[in-house]
Amino acid sequence: MKVYGRYLSPFKLLSINKLLSIRKPLPIRKLLALFILGVLAGCSGGGAEVVPLPDVSTGTGSVPNYTGPPPASEDVQRFKLNVWDNLVADNRCGGCHIQGGQAPEFVRFDDINLAYAAANTIVNLNNPIESRMVQKVLEGHNCWLSSDQACADIIQGHISDWAGGALGGEANLVQLFPPVIREPGASKNFPLSSAGFAGSIYPILTTYCAQCHRETAVTPQSPHFASEDVEVAYLAAQSKIDLDVPANSRLVLRLRNEFHQCWDDCQANSNELETAITTLANGIALTELDPQLLPSKALTLFDGILANSGGRHETNVIAKWEFKAGQGSTAFDTSGINPAMDLTLNGDVSWVGGWGIQIKDGKAQASTSTSKKLHNLISGSGEFTLEAWVVPGNVTQEGPARIVSYSGGTDTRNFTLGQTLYNYDFLNRSSTTDVNGDPALSTDNAAQRLQPVLQHVALTYSPTTGRKIYVNGEFTGDLDTVEGGTLSDWDDSFAFVLGNEVSSDRLWQGILRMVAVHNRVLSDEQIVDNFKASVGEKFFLLFSVSDLINVTDAYVVFEASQFDSFSYLFNQPFFISLDPDAQVDGIDISGIRLGSNGRELAVGQAYKNVNKTVNDAEYNTVGGQSLSSLGTVINLEKGPENDEFFLTFEKIGQNTHRVVEPPPPPPPVAVDEPASSDVGLKTFEKIHATLSSITGVSMAQTDVNNTYQNVKQALPTVSDIETFVSAQQMAITQLSIEYCNALVNDPNLRQNFFPDFNFNGSVNDAFVMGDRRLITTPLYNKTMNSNVATQASIAEVELELNNLIDRLTSCNTNNSCAADRTETVVKATCAAAIGNAGMLIQ
Amino acid sequence: MRTQPFLKYWFDLFLILLVISLVNISAAQAGPREQAKRIHERLAGVPPSESVLTNMQSQVENGNAVNAAMLAMDNADFYNVTLKNFITPWTNEAETIFAPLNDYTATLIGMIRDDRDFREILSADVLYVGAASLGLPAYSNNNNTHYQALEDQRINLKDNLVAATQSAVTGLPAAATAGITTSRAAAQAFFIDGTNRAMFRFTFKNQLCTDLEPLKDITRSPDRIRQDVSRSPGGDSRIYLNNCIGCHAGMDPMTQAFAYYDFAHDVDADPDGNNGNLSYNNVGAVDPDTGSRVKKKYHINASNFKFGFISTDDRWDNYWRTGANANLGWSSSLSGSGEGAKSLGQELANSEAFASCQVKKVFKEICLRSAVDANDRAQLTAMVNSFKTNNYNLKQVFAETAVYCMGD
Repeated sequence: MKVYGRYLSPFKLLSINKLLSIRKPLPIRKLLALFILGVLAGCSGGGAEVVPLPDVSTGTGSVPNYTGPPPASEDVQRFKLNVWDNLVADNRCGGCHIQGGQAPEFVRFDDINLAYAAANTIVNLNNPIESRMVQKVLEGHNCWLSSDQACADIIQGHISDWAGGALGGEANLVQLFPPVIREPGASKNFPLSSAGFAGSIYPILTTYCAQCHRETAVTPQSPHFASEDVEVAYLAAQSKIDLDVPANSRLVLRLRNEFHQCWDDCQANSNELETAITTLANGIALTELDPQLLPSKALTLFDGILANSGGRHETNVIAKWEFKAGQGSTAFDTSGINPAMDLTLNGDVSWVGGWGIQIKDGKAQASTSTSKKLHNLISGSGEFTLEAWVVPGNVTQEGPARIVSYSGGTDTRNFTLGQTLYNYDFLNRSSTTDVNGDPALSTDNAAQRLQPVLQHVALTYSPTTGRKIYVNGEFTGDLDTVEGGTLSDWDDSFAFVLGNEVSSDRLWQGILRMVAVHNRVLSDEQIVDNFKASVGEKFFLLFSVSDLINVTDAYVVFEASQFDSFSYLFNQPFFISLDPDAQVDGIDISGIRLGSNGRELAVGQAYKNVNKTVNDAEYNTVGGQSLSSLGTVINLEKGPENDEFFLTFEKIGQNTHRVVEPPPPPPPVAVDEPASSDVGLKTFEKIHATLSSITGVSMAQTDVNNTYQNVKQALPTVSDIETFVSAQQMAITQLSIEYCNALVNDPNLRQNFFPDFNFNGSVNDAFVMGDRRLITTPLYNKTMNSNVATQASIAEVELELNNLIDRLTSCNTNNSCAADRTETVVKATCAAAIGNAGMLIQ
Repeated sequence: MRTQPFLKYWFDLFLILLVISLVNISAAQAGPREQAKRIHERLAGVPPSESVLTNMQSQVENGNAVNAAMLAMDNADFYNVTLKNFITPWTNEAETIFAPLNDYTATLIGMIRDDRDFREILSADVLYVGAASLGLPAYSNNNNTHYQALEDQRINLKDNLVAATQSAVTGLPAAATAGITTSRAAAQAFFIDGTNRAMFRFTFKNQLCTDLEPLKDITRSPDRIRQDVSRSPGGDSRIYLNNCIGCHAGMDPMTQAFAYYDFAHDVDADPDGNNGNLSYNNVGAVDPDTGSRVKKKYHINASNFKFGFISTDDRWDNYWRTGANANLGWSSSLSGSGEGAKSLGQELANSEAFASCQVKKVFKEICLRSAVDANDRAQLTAMVNSFKTNNYNLKQVFAETAVYCMGD
């Protein structure tokens, strides 16, 4: 296999002895402004004469027969196979850069060795992306596609393939060189006084946001920028306000783009807030960077050195999409393998910053004719690898939702990568499956391999190993229950599609940042390497600190990239001097903070606790010295072309800046709440214990305990008296009856409770008026205590209990009374007395 | 026999007495006897005996209402019912009041009974078990049978809980004990599966009276946020930068204190961990997945953000000592850093928020409502001060609260 451009960590890179002799190329985006000049220089060998652009679109794609001398070396042969053969056609570079045509004549077809010599003047095999040939096309020079980026990627791939052999498969090196030197700019900062805020934004926030974003809200949501205390609100709102670009304020975007709790029309509401923020911002003068700070020099992302040096195994890649275009409705196949399977974006599909597409409600689909490339190249090899960097939008979609599919409809396919909740699904049609690729191979439910984060997924298939799924470089361990078969039944009329089924009825929502198809199985190690190579455009940002420590070409270097559409990733800083003779031992570096657009960032300061001393033991001139192994994500503000970054330090060298945290905002002033009831309900177990306490029946008594267990969860569980419902009343009744039943049935207990009552008397005898108090008085005293004015009086209770007894002792021909009626009446009276509100309310 | 035929009479009676009771409660002027009765009902949950009521009435009349409250707390139901139900919701993730008695609940009941410094609940080598004379199943690291038996048999906890130490009973190294944090019940509820952040969150909820939402501070350094936290959930880093980071920046460096703890159980056969046990990587232990004493759960989902923090020990740091959460009132006599759960427990328990939380919880339990006005708030402040000057004796708080809400 060939490995080209393997990415190295900063501590394995650099060819320092070349550094000082290398001139910094102009940033890529800046070069776009020099488009015309670049074209002229390239086409005329550096002359200034204006010539018309050649029109490569008129080429027919014909390839000349090569009749010249044979390649003089193996490297010339590799050049021919990887570069010359791919670019010699007259609708590529062969339209101009041939013998007698425009210099350099790197695709001349009279002598491959001379073409090789010409090509060597415009390639950088150590870092193919820095090749003049690539940069020239990227500047807009005669790309045969509608995307300069796509053409540049394809040529870079050809050069990388050549380099992979030319360099003996060794990894490419990323060379650091001095960046532009720029002072950090000025910005607007929040004044100490909240007066401006109180007169502009605060009234809107308190009017429309106070139901949630206030400490005293029913369900308070932070930040409390609608606090009744304006000082609290002011401090809370600052991180949500962009004084430099009010439209970028989180307060505005939350309404405008995310439709968060708009009080009327979201656009109008966001405009209202933006106007208020603008009013505040207009009253604040630009402030220069705090002179007390110890800042580095400043850089934009594109001032950095491209850190993507390949590192991926792509020898057998036959289709690849990196989604670099960033605009338009086509995602280009930059594999360089014809025909290009360019994808047409349909529906709600948008480009994602830092390379990628986001599918919300649409798909990206290739034509059936170009998709046939997969059929032709895979059915021949009989095996393949599908590789993708994905960010599933959620873990609720299923179907399976189609992430990547080469299919004819919902029930016919060649292969599919799908999502079912937390699982990846792999369907592949072979001689041992049905036409839908079923039964599917899915990742284990319990493992929850699929997460809504950036993940590298690789599917491999071969007749010998069947289907295998890898997530983030790791084989999931899910074994294919279907034996491998041949792919001879693949249908060449199907189309390749991302984010949906070709029939548009199996939507997958999420982000795709790279997709590649190989017509060979990648090994476990190769998949790990491709995972480690990561995805997206990465840069080394060299923040100059020379003037802070008096060391030549001294830098704190971050690997930085656009992380998604809303943020950057800054990663693994290290210190280095590009002067190999620099003396760096003993330099203290602590309290590193990231700054952007003239101010230190409020969020994402993952290096403020760094405390390192550069020392000869850890430092080397190739990789410098690591300052942290961490990465951090920070807000994207004005965009990657305009956001200007810098660093500050609490200590660097002999310079110290003591950072003092501002005091915390004062706690919010407490506000009165509506008065609530002074009394409440006894809850379930208190009722249980109270009834036990009143009757003397043990809570563990079998019948009582059984009833309690049955009704426990129907008894009150909270003391709030307003929550009382009839179901609780019923439960209390049941439990009271059970207690009284146990009390009266137990001779000793009832004797103690009703010592003078004649339980053996008939109903008519036992409940004569004078004797009723033998029942009611003990019940009253035990339940409510005597002489407690806040309870019902004994007279009131007796009146009601007497009425009850009257009803229950009415024995006549229509209402016969059994022999145990006396006990029954006592039990009922007891239940009424102990289960009443006097017991329940506390 | 059953008396269901008489239910309709009973309902009528109930409603009549309910009205009478409410009218009387609202209209009657509460004298010492009424106040004494309410103190007893609120604290013990049951009506007082005549003799106790008379005694308490006398104390109230003599201006010793707090002493009256102390008398009420002599009732066993203060422990068996009031305290048990007060504490039980803290011991499980669902916060159900119906959870069985367990070592977390029993230990707090015992500590309150014995007037222990309540700050020790998050750091001490302490455990309360049923007396050996009860003949109950012995304490087990692998189940709750001992405490279930105490509850099922309605054992008087006031008289039968015995102070012990976790190190002696469970075998956990004394240095690794941290009060109820290292109880079996808390471990089953908050160390089970997951990432141990539940222990942190629920300790804050239950002992500092705040969930994490109000504590969100996105300005703290994210340098200790672990790899498992996505920096771009669903591809949108705004969610991380405006929400996730607010809790994790402060939570993760403190939750590192629990890095050596887990709750071991059979995930398939015993998913709730009813037969599981607290697991701790003692000195010298090497977890095969982390290569250190750190439990595997601290390294899971590492590819969510591979440049995140990798825990290698149980060093914790309190980043919330600065910023808005300084208002939690951290003790200036502590450093804000340490190793392990014990010192983190001390950090939390010595905060103003901890003391204030205990008082607020008792106030809600006894007054049956939250503080609503300046008088209530002044009372809370006074009781927090009293709590501290009385060596963090929670019984004192119960007594003072019951007196404040005894009616007038």
